[in-house]
Amino acid sequence: MTNEYVLIDRILAGEQQLYAELVNRYKSYAFTIALKILEIRPEAEEAAQDAFIKAYHSLASFNREAKFSTWLYRIAFNTAISYKRKRKGSYQSIENVIVEYGQEGEGMLERTDKKKFINLAMSKLNEADRLALNLYYLQEFSLEEIADITGMQANTVKVRIHRARQRLADELKTILQKEALTL
Amino acid sequence: MNKLSQEQEEKLLDYIDGNLPASEKEHFEQAIKNSPAMRTRLEELNTLHTSLRTIKIEQPSKNFTQQVMGKLDQYPIRSSSLLSRNGILLLIGVLVAVGISSLLLAGGVFDNTSSFDLNQTIIPNKYIQQSLPTISFNGKMVVNVIILLNLALAFLVLDRAILKPWFERRTRMHV
Repeated sequence: MTNEYVLIDRILAGEQQLYAELVNRYKSYAFTIALKILEIRPEAEEAAQDAFIKAYHSLASFNREAKFSTWLYRIAFNTAISYKRKRKGSYQSIENVIVEYGQEGEGMLERTDKKKFINLAMSKLNEADRLALNLYYLQEFSLEEIADITGMQANTVKVRIHRARQRLADELKTILQKEALTL
Repeated sequence: MNKLSQEQEEKLLDYIDGNLPASEKEHFEQAIKNSPAMRTRLEELNTLHTSLRTIKIEQPSKNFTQQVMGKLDQYPIRSSSLLSRNGILLLIGVLVAVGISSLLLAGGVFDNTSSFDLNQTIIPNKYIQQSLPTISFNGKMVVNVIILLNLALAFLVLDRAILKPWFERRTRMHV
């Protein structure tokens, strides 16, 4: 893997086509961050692309104190947030939430149900808690990195993740009790 | 069943995440064993934790990179050139206004001092008991102030619309 800083230097020197390598390297996580915020795949894709374009044009201002990925994901996070703010009064029902989970393998039905209930409970969390939780469970980011991406303090992130899980567990319990009553 | 305290909930989550110090772990495990409420909550949180661990990375469309690369040149150039063009037009307008004003000023158009008698205003005399003063205008001075303000605006526009983008481009090319 080409050293990232060398790659950035070459892009800044005019080798624009090399930026494709950075896009390929980080597109999945940038897109995932946008999707967790926007919850609509085409919109998340547009926001993630926009983030990469913004990052390209601000590449000279990347001060290399943080990891390039963290800097880029922060741009993706901010872009997705501004897309969400621009969205005019659109109500999104739980059925439209496109946070996908694996559906292969044995025990698919049980797992799909569990995911459905988790999705339902997740939709009741506030946006910041939901995002912090999602980033944490992607198992790619430390608390400090999540803090850098979202512009929060690491302690605040930890509190949010704890609080979100507590709420989620409570919500799940309520949902499952209701489900049991309808059986 | 007794509701757990916030501290107990926090500790359960730290325990699940493996963040509980070794010195506390054994003592805490004992506390869990002795409390049915903590055992139940641990089970709930653990089930959730296991499910959340399956959250996976999402993949964008196959032509994602291609689309980004295709848009790289359009995006900021369009917006910045638009900004620069408007800025340049504004700058030209301001300079033309300053030029015309200066020419008129040099031609002596604003040399006369006019006065404005407040007693001749449309305010009915019945509201004002005393006689009002007469204000005299020095047209030359007023136009000079306007020219000065225009020049300040021209410098501001020059900085924002031309110099700043130019230096930014130069920096980008030399980094």
